Amino acid sequence: MLPDVPSPKLERWKYTNLERALKKLNLMPAALGWGSDVKLLNPHAPGEAQYKDTQLWDLNTSHTKDIKFITSDEIIEISAKDGQWLSPRLVIHVKDGQTVTVIERQNGQGGYWKNGVAQIIVGKNAKLRHYRIIDEAEGAVSTQFIHVKIDRDGSYEGYNHIEGAGLIRNQVHAELNGENGNFSIAGLNLLRGEQHADTTITIEHKAPHCNSNQTYKSVLDGKSRCVFQGKVHVHQIAQKTDGYQLSNALILSPQAEMDTKPELEIYADDVKCSHGATTGKLDEEPLFYMRARGIPEKEARSLLITSFCAQAVDTITDEGMQTHITEKLAQWLASRT
Amino acid sequence: MIKIKNLKAEIDGKEILKGIDLEIQPGKVHAIMGPNGSGKSTLSYILAGREEYTVTGGDIELNGQSILDMAPEERAAKGVFLAFQYPVEIPGVQMTPFMKTALNSVRKARGLKELDAIDFLKLMKAKCKELGISDDMMKRAVNVGFSGGEKKRNEVLQMAMLEPKFCVLDETDSGLDIDALKIVADGVNKMRGGDKSFLVITHYQRLLDYIKPDVVHVLAGGKIVKTGGPELAHELEKTGYANVA
Ligand SMILES: Nc1ncnc2c1ncn2[C@@H]1O[C@H](COP(=O)(O)OP(=O)(O)OP(=O)(O)O)[C@@H](O)[C@H]1O
Ligand SMILES: [Mg+2]
Repeated sequence: MLPDVPSPKLERWKYTNLERALKKLNLMPAALGWGSDVKLLNPHAPGEAQYKDTQLWDLNTSHTKDIKFITSDEIIEISAKDGQWLSPRLVIHVKDGQTVTVIERQNGQGGYWKNGVAQIIVGKNAKLRHYRIIDEAEGAVSTQFIHVKIDRDGSYEGYNHIEGAGLIRNQVHAELNGENGNFSIAGLNLLRGEQHADTTITIEHKAPHCNSNQTYKSVLDGKSRCVFQGKVHVHQIAQKTDGYQLSNALILSPQAEMDTKPELEIYADDVKCSHGATTGKLDEEPLFYMRARGIPEKEARSLLITSFCAQAVDTITDEGMQTHITEKLAQWLASRT
Repeated sequence: MIKIKNLKAEIDGKEILKGIDLEIQPGKVHAIMGPNGSGKSTLSYILAGREEYTVTGGDIELNGQSILDMAPEERAAKGVFLAFQYPVEIPGVQMTPFMKTALNSVRKARGLKELDAIDFLKLMKAKCKELGISDDMMKRAVNVGFSGGEKKRNEVLQMAMLEPKFCVLDETDSGLDIDALKIVADGVNKMRGGDKSFLVITHYQRLLDYIKPDVVHVLAGGKIVKTGGPELAHELEKTGYANVA
């Protein structure tokens, strides 16, 4: 019943064993009822030879029964039920000069597999805000593949809020195809129990004068495991590229684990690219200082974790969404035992 | 009243406090002087409940109740306050919410009504004014980028806000210019009296000119080796610790 899926033998899947997670589930292909009687204009997976990691994309293309075209502001909720194998497909097209906000909520109940794809085009001088709140069930597997093409002066602002599933692979591939394009992606991974979250990002700078920015904060409790692989590829033509990548992880429990793999591949000579990655525990000093002022330990920890996450949350330019995410974070912290 | 009875403590298997006895009556100010490394900060951290240290013997009582088993936050609620020798910088946590959370936590633990944002700001402004501290500090992250003097004044402000019963000031005077020193001393003198007790740790007579202690102790090698009146501080200033330690 299960299709072939990428194995940990593949470089880009080194830390994530999808097959093992799927084997625990009892799945049947299912649909959300969006309909798929529209022809996909661009069904093909992104990536030139070196990033050919498109098995799941192709699987989505061959199985999808749910396709949604989005060209204006929209809130989409994708909820799965126990035993479902869903293959939802979002096609987001922001036309030249337009600004669009898409809010995506991913959730569900029981054990299921969502193999989602979002193909996104940001037109000339257009802007997309893409806020994804991924709060899948503990027993679920969620594999998400986003491909973003950005044209001249276009801008993509992505925020990925990940609180679940049991196993999630969030794969992002961006192409900056015209001058002055901007790709910014930020996210929080809030993990506990035995959760596993893998964020794998590839950003290709294919035109001069583009910026890309990745700001990821991961908070790991219990026996959770988090993977962050971020790659910035600057093609020879992409002079004056400005690329920055940050991944900070906070380990709250001795059994939690973070694997970070930053990569820069640069073929242009006049670029500014850097990355920073840290993994650490909460500092005892501030914690004691706060407690000595009467702040209960749990609250002191929450304050410190909130400030740790702030840099990612602050990238959200929509005020209402920023408030919402701040509240989600507070709820997650309050539910810590 | 605070009572320290034969207190012994170690860190990483190294014994640092070797039997300390100290009793401070309500309303009194005691000073502790002593050479570097004699255990002054260790004593202050242990009073505030720092968990890295292991108390291997003795007891600490606040108003007849042992506080040894209490968490730092419980001690703060009971009225223990430590002004840190090295106040900690907390990037990303702003002073105002920090202070409000702290105050409301101790108020809650003391059975008092929590303050809303407006009442809190009023109180904070009033305290800043009373202490001659600019409230600009309240708009910044806790101690981040504060000058040495600002950090120490911030400690005094927090002390005034939290209304403690027993205050330990660990070298709050070090690194201060004379104006800042006066602000700190005034702060203590304003709170002095009533039932509050103070333990003032310092290397310098200078501070004790402004905060007149009732009793002076010399701590050396993890023990109190001498106790006297304010004149003991003058004596130490002249002769150093060599004669007492
Ligand atoms: N975490 C630690 N691990 C090992 N030794 C420690 C630790 N903390 C303190 N000590 C030792 O304990 C002793 C007392 O230190 P403490 O800081 O209490 O001295 P102090 O009297 O406050 O000195 P100063 O006047 O320099 O502030 C020193 O020998 C110090 O090296
Ligand atoms: Mg000291």
